[in-house]
Amino acid sequence: MSTADLFAILRGLPWTVALTLGAFLVGAVLGVPLVAARQSRILPLRFLAMIFIQIVRGIPPILWLFIIFFGLGMSVFPISPFNAALAGLGLIAAANMAEIYRGALASIHFGQWEASSALNLGRWSTLTDVVAPQAFRVALPSAASYLIGLMKETAVASTIGVSELAFQGNQLSQLTFRGLEVFALVGMFYILLSLPVAWLSRVADGYLQAKVAR
Amino acid sequence: MTEDDALAAKGAPSEKGQARKPLIKLDKLSKHYGNHTVLDGIDLEVMPGEVLAIIGPSGSGKSTLLRCINYLEPPDGGHVTIGDISLNAAAPAGRSELSTLRRSVGMVFQSFNLFPHMTVLRNVSLAQERVLGRSRKNADERSMQLLSRVGLADKAEQFPGRCSGGQQQRIAIARALALDPDVMLFDEPTSALDPELGLEVLAVMRELAETGMTMIVVTHEMSFAENVSDTVMIMADGKIIEKGPSADVMRNPQQERTKRFLRAVHDR
Repeated sequence: MSTADLFAILRGLPWTVALTLGAFLVGAVLGVPLVAARQSRILPLRFLAMIFIQIVRGIPPILWLFIIFFGLGMSVFPISPFNAALAGLGLIAAANMAEIYRGALASIHFGQWEASSALNLGRWSTLTDVVAPQAFRVALPSAASYLIGLMKETAVASTIGVSELAFQGNQLSQLTFRGLEVFALVGMFYILLSLPVAWLSRVADGYLQAKVAR
Repeated sequence: MTEDDALAAKGAPSEKGQARKPLIKLDKLSKHYGNHTVLDGIDLEVMPGEVLAIIGPSGSGKSTLLRCINYLEPPDGGHVTIGDISLNAAAPAGRSELSTLRRSVGMVFQSFNLFPHMTVLRNVSLAQERVLGRSRKNADERSMQLLSRVGLADKAEQFPGRCSGGQQQRIAIARALALDPDVMLFDEPTSALDPELGLEVLAVMRELAETGMTMIVVTHEMSFAENVSDTVMIMADGKIIEKGPSADVMRNPQQERTKRFLRAVHDR
């Protein structure tokens, strides 16, 4: 395989990274109101959020991309492949992040809420000063492994024509008929991408754990 | 100060018997979990400076009573009055009412409930800034005073996880005191501690009692009930069985249920 082939695959790298980080960001942000609705005292809101999360997570990612790109994109409003993939994966990430947040919140001992009430901290302060920082620590490892999972998930975007890693690999293998080498190389790039995430997550977790020493 | 004045200042039942207003007044306070009655129409008055120990078998409702006073668990019948604030348990409490009520009540929990992700100093300062609107500098100054008072100034920059249980409970006491409450509630403050560590917490509580703080203490520490508190109240099955000056109740109980409970405690 020539250097030119390697560069052909590498052209997909920025798209994979952009799609991964973009979808994760969308999910991490939208996950917050979603978990708030999921935990709301207002029953219909809680119910709606639950249904939404179930539906989003219940349908395969590839189908979501088809629905958005071929379905909505062709009939309702034109949408680029990248934006369709970002919307679809962002939606899925939001549902998953909401569940990760929910688990993290549930792990906070009720005594922390009680102490906050007894100290008369307002709801906002209880959340931002007491609960969220502790929940963040709990959510961090699951969020990091979800980020790695999401990165691999972005390969489905190749099916609607986003020229990310898998897409470039597919193109190249059809040009060169050397699928084994090409896809092995593509696979290696995915692994290389996941390493810094795993490493960062471990460092952050170790740091937070050392600080609290529990 | 003469002894009488000291007693009066402490709010102990004074010989002179001038009409003093109770700081805390509970009228027919009740609480149910489904069909189960946890508190069965509790009437109680606590004078300013009084130290009241609540003892009794587990499941008697003593912790629930304490938690109803600051609405950590809202009672479902009766009235809670603290100072000038009175809440009717039959009506849902508004947020500002609750906040006013809680402003005057400090609480210490059996399991400390310190915030593990903050330094000891931050634990004590946080609510001062958020609730009282003190500046960080003023809050930290006050926190350091209180931490010195409980003998833990050197732990200020540590995280709670690095402190022993007894130290954590003393920090929790400083944290509650930092909001300048009128009354301090203690929910079995030494039950999660081994006896030696419990002693250092009891010493802090005794010192606090001597400064004239109004305290309600749910406890299994009979010597605290007898020697530190002014008044002892025995609860069983959601009712007050007996209440009176601590020496009388502990040494010469009138009710059969009280005698049985105290005998069981002494036989251990």
